[in-house]
Amino acid sequence: MNQIFKLKISEAKLLRDMANAISILIDEATFKIDEEGLKLRAMDPSRVAMIDFEWPKTIFEEYECVSPSKICINISELLKLLRRAGKSEAVNLSLDEKTGQLQIVVTGKYKRSFTMPTLEAVEEEVPTPKIDFNVKAKTTTQGLSQAIDDAQLVSDHVRIEADSDKLLFIASGDLMGAKITLQKGSETLLDLETKEASKATFSLSYLSEIIKAASATSEIATLEFSTDMPIRIDFQQAKQGKLIFFLAPRIETD
Amino acid sequence: MNYSIIADAYEKIESTSKRLEMIDFLVDLLRETPKEIIDKVIYLTQGKICPDFVGLEVGIAEKLAIKSLSKASGRDQKQIENDLKKSGDIGKTAFEFISERIQTSFFKRTLTVEKVFETFKKMAKTVGSKAINVKISLLSGLLLDASPKEAKYLMRTVTQNLRLGIADMTVLDALAISYGGGKNNRPKIERAYNISSDLGKVAQKIAETGLEGINTIQVEVFKPIRPMLAERLSSTEEILDKLNGLCSAEYKYDGERVQIHKKGQQITLYSRRLENITNQYPDIIKFIKTSIVSNTAILEGEIVAINRQTGALLPFQELMRRRRKYNVTRFMELYPVSLFLFEALYVDGEDFTTKKYFDRRKVLENILKKNDKIKLAKNFVTTNKKELESFFEEAIANGSEGLICKATGNYSIYQAGARGWLWIKYKKDYHSEMIDTTDLVIIGAFYGRGKRAGVYGTLLLATYNKECDTFESVTKCGTGFTDEDLIKILNILKNHIITKKHPRVISTIDAEIWFEPKLVLEIIGAEITLSPIHTCGFGSIRKNRGLAIRFPRFTRKYRTEKNPEDATTSMEIIEIYRNQIK
Repeated sequence: MNQIFKLKISEAKLLRDMANAISILIDEATFKIDEEGLKLRAMDPSRVAMIDFEWPKTIFEEYECVSPSKICINISELLKLLRRAGKSEAVNLSLDEKTGQLQIVVTGKYKRSFTMPTLEAVEEEVPTPKIDFNVKAKTTTQGLSQAIDDAQLVSDHVRIEADSDKLLFIASGDLMGAKITLQKGSETLLDLETKEASKATFSLSYLSEIIKAASATSEIATLEFSTDMPIRIDFQQAKQGKLIFFLAPRIETD
Repeated sequence: MNYSIIADAYEKIESTSKRLEMIDFLVDLLRETPKEIIDKVIYLTQGKICPDFVGLEVGIAEKLAIKSLSKASGRDQKQIENDLKKSGDIGKTAFEFISERIQTSFFKRTLTVEKVFETFKKMAKTVGSKAINVKISLLSGLLLDASPKEAKYLMRTVTQNLRLGIADMTVLDALAISYGGGKNNRPKIERAYNISSDLGKVAQKIAETGLEGINTIQVEVFKPIRPMLAERLSSTEEILDKLNGLCSAEYKYDGERVQIHKKGQQITLYSRRLENITNQYPDIIKFIKTSIVSNTAILEGEIVAINRQTGALLPFQELMRRRRKYNVTRFMELYPVSLFLFEALYVDGEDFTTKKYFDRRKVLENILKKNDKIKLAKNFVTTNKKELESFFEEAIANGSEGLICKATGNYSIYQAGARGWLWIKYKKDYHSEMIDTTDLVIIGAFYGRGKRAGVYGTLLLATYNKECDTFESVTKCGTGFTDEDLIKILNILKNHIITKKHPRVISTIDAEIWFEPKLVLEIIGAEITLSPIHTCGFGSIRKNRGLAIRFPRFTRKYRTEKNPEDATTSMEIIEIYRNQIK
């Protein structure tokens, strides 16, 4: 059998959490795979959010890529299969050149082998937004999730503000309001660099789904933003892995 | 091709109520359309993505459309819902909210017809647990790129509210003018449409190969043929007169008309509206496999429910109990059916639509292996009006609705898609004191009192005005309903209550409850009179007078197989009124 690549991940949980984070934005994901590693950069269909993901080969227990290629898979289908795997079972992924089928082998107490079709890869390249950020805030993902949950109680969007010593989440609904303050140097806000006080408003449905899913893969998130510009959230990964989301702002009307 | 070109054309078409102007705008649009996507443009202008028989519909629920608009505009769903309540038009609401969108995106693209079409197709094909989310994000993706005007028509299309009033014949006229060398050539194009039921394909063909190429569209298995329809008359004498003194009268069974397409062991059933209904009748499929001996065939017949014990024919409403998505097998046993074949349109490579009646009947006899589940529709050939009358009595006594009297001469072809005098209906209803039965749409209701408290006591019913695409009130009916009917109607209409009169409903009567035009009932009346309050055919007979049906009574037939647009038309009521006073 001619295989384009063969990968082994020692813990199914790693792969599952990452697939889940990707599935928040996209259904059919086109990955790039080469000698260096596995990459994905894509936008959700409404082009409001963007994901930039990279797993260098060091993340994998075994890594072999015969020729650089693009592979498109239905991520929620993959997720279904991965949910059947135990946390610490090993997963082997390989792509058969002839059939175009992705083979997923889960090995633990017993061996399970699944195949799924690959789809036509998207050729369109997504550029990384070039933005001058005036605020850079390092938070725990747990604290960030809490702040978003609080804001979601009262509204469907949130204004994120920062000055030199604090990061604010301000939500106002029809009747209720919420203001969450993270003080610089607190347990939640580990670091804050502010070149210029800034504020921008974002949809909470996007923010909360992204942060919830990505938090499973990461303890620490770095937020970067400027007034009325997209926000960049970098979820720190082990071993040079990369998981970054961009989210376009809303226009403040009130 | 930019979608804005289509949106501009829609706007122009919408601005006129003159059919000729509408055709001009359509011609302009077709000329601007690149030939290779002309089929897509045709489907889109009809609010579709493919011909009906393919069964792929673009429609999504209004709720999902609102969610998509909320996502694309960044505005609260509730705000959108409130605006929609006021405007009553999802298109207008979309225009407003896209004009003032507050969610930004990373970049915008120009919306193309190709992109819109592909996205609609993807939406229609999306199934499974995540389907709703996928559909919402696909639609909001389009809305993000859309101008307010484009958003207006996108939203109307996906919620099946496009309603430009572009009838099939209008499209055919426009095709004849733009690619067929003039309006006079419409009949040739129409024939291609009638035997293929696919306007997109016809458009593509004529755009690419001109009028000559249109002849390459031929009758084909699994491409339904538009059914031939019958005129009606109320005496056997008139009927024989019209049919040159000789007719073949066939039982008009009270069931569901189906078109059967067969190729080897592969069989598909199409309804009268040319929707694929194969899954409804696994038993019929089995019978066909064993008793139709030709390899390929396109046949027409009527599926009728039969009494399990006696084998007697049962009325249409018994058959409709089989109309369901689930438990088909169980209901198949509870309500057994027979099939009565009455037309052969295509057999083993040969097109029979252009052949004479007796040729068609003969081939039908030849390919049917005798059995008790599939029979030929009972027929009787006569030149005598008394004999015809007694055959009619016999048909009624045996549980059928009446007769279809068919022409038999050299000219007696199968006129696909046409209502003509080659077939004439003779029904029980014209025979009694009453006028004909009519199929009317419920548009409003009044609460019941006394014994009928808690249900609707009286329904406001309407005919369909085909020219204006509106529903015009024609009668108020509270007779003929059993208690069960009233509860059933209450339940069916529960989900179609609207807060004010529907924009397509024309009524001067103020109903206590208004509905979206949906449910069609069969109503029989005593006569048609001029009316100062009903709007059916208003002004067409006399100034400031409409027409009303007197002494209406519900026949207990729910015409759930009919769309509101298939209801009796205002024009038909005008015709009946005219015949009445002759």
